Amino acid sequence: MNGTAVLHSIIDGVLTGSVYALMATGLTLIFGVMNIINVAQGILVILGAYLSYALSVHLGIDLFVGLAITIPTLFVVGIVVERIFLSRIKGPERVVMSILVTYAIALVIEGLLNIVFSANYVELHAWYVVRSVRVFGIWLPYIYLLGFALAVVLLGALYVMLYRTRFGASVRASLADQTAAALVGINVRRVSTICFGLGVAVTAAGGMIYGATNAFNANSSYDLISRLLVIIVLGGMGSLGGALVAGIMMITIEDLVSVVWGPTWSNLSFFVILVIVLSLRPQGLFGQRSVRVA
Amino acid sequence: MTESTPFLGIEGVVAGYGGGDVLKGVDFTVKEGGVTCIVGPNGSGKSTLLKVISGLLKPRLGQIYFKGTPLVGLTPRAILKLGIVQVPQNHSLFGEMSVEENVELGAFIVRDRSVIARRMDSVREMFPIVAERAKDKAGSLSSGQQRLVEFARCLMLEPELVVLDEPSMGLDPKTLRVMFDTVKMMNAMGRTVLLVEQNARQALKMSHHGVVLENGQVRLSGTGSEVLNNPEIGVLFLGGALLEKPKAS
Repeated sequence: MNGTAVLHSIIDGVLTGSVYALMATGLTLIFGVMNIINVAQGILVILGAYLSYALSVHLGIDLFVGLAITIPTLFVVGIVVERIFLSRIKGPERVVMSILVTYAIALVIEGLLNIVFSANYVELHAWYVVRSVRVFGIWLPYIYLLGFALAVVLLGALYVMLYRTRFGASVRASLADQTAAALVGINVRRVSTICFGLGVAVTAAGGMIYGATNAFNANSSYDLISRLLVIIVLGGMGSLGGALVAGIMMITIEDLVSVVWGPTWSNLSFFVILVIVLSLRPQGLFGQRSVRVA
Repeated sequence: MTESTPFLGIEGVVAGYGGGDVLKGVDFTVKEGGVTCIVGPNGSGKSTLLKVISGLLKPRLGQIYFKGTPLVGLTPRAILKLGIVQVPQNHSLFGEMSVEENVELGAFIVRDRSVIARRMDSVREMFPIVAERAKDKAGSLSSGQQRLVEFARCLMLEPELVVLDEPSMGLDPKTLRVMFDTVKMMNAMGRTVLLVEQNARQALKMSHHGVVLENGQVRLSGTGSEVLNNPEIGVLFLGGALLEKPKAS
């Protein structure tokens, strides 16, 4: 272990973590507004990766240019899934039912992806995937820097939408109190549908970067969803800032552990940190403590 | 609206939450320009009735008319557009948003920015706390301050009917007076007020009309003082006599 390796792992962690933060932000936005835990988020990331793959291999469309197609496509997929399946889930069992329904959706998408693309691992290719640039004496693949820039741009756009627009105010109000939001005239139903669409749309970008930095098949979604769930629980369920901080923090620590103690320990570190933080702060880093009645 | 059309008419409303009916046929009318106070023991259906009026809960049977327009089946947004605004029982400000943002959201259904700006100015004048704490998070205010900001927010729509669900809940005696004075002020400004209150004596004293709900039905209605002076009602539902105790000579 040397200083350069540690610095490298920190930079890697921040760059990759920002992409995880983007994917997790979508997941936590959906939970915060709708009280739905979308366990299909992992397979939707993989679907995003496969869409980029198909556009790149069959139509020769650049991975980043292809986002102009894949992001709106997944937004529509999200809207359709919400209207057909999730809008029907009501009542006190909504959270538990949402896990079952979205898990079923995940299995269907996984099955379809296995049929269409087979179970063989694939990778996304572009010049920026294989070439690197030297930054502060460290060689970094262009895709890591471009992925970070993409995450920053999309998270920035999400921030502007949430804090500078009328729709954003209605989302934040719905996040805080759906009854009070309805009483000031916010159409909480519509806000929920659009938020689910947005939460799924970000998986297109996350999926493309994931596919460009990892070989993947449909089964890769299980590792992804477990990481994303850990990130949003650690950040505080429904906290957008929490997902951002936890995403970058977890991936950075994982990379550091990999360098300091070895890769065997890095996956474990993810869950050890979760257990430690939740023992001290059950609501997560930025979550609100829930009030349980009797 | 003809002379005989009630401002707000509640006709045979039956509603509940799935575990049986809470309201079992409620009938009464609210007169325009007055303050109508609904009192009754816990579980009598007061808050449930307000949820039905504001469109949060659809009744199983019955109808509610606002100046002749049926409300059942309308969304809360559509009911707001008709001019009915509700301030719910529990604090309903969005705690992480600023006081100013919260008040502006009161005019969420208004598109014209100049109208919103004009109403903001008017509300700031009536409720100085809106200007004084404009940039503070609403969650950082005291209970009484939050209640005043909620009132300010509901006036952003310049509503015809203001529905208040237990506005005195959780307030200390001093803030309670301010709150009741504010309700009187809203009424003096021409707003019809329908409120549910546990603090029956004070609420009925300032009300033009009183309605007593018992077990999901109207037990008694009349002027505020009639209800206040009814000994049976005082004993049965309001924890004893409501009249002021005679002062010792």
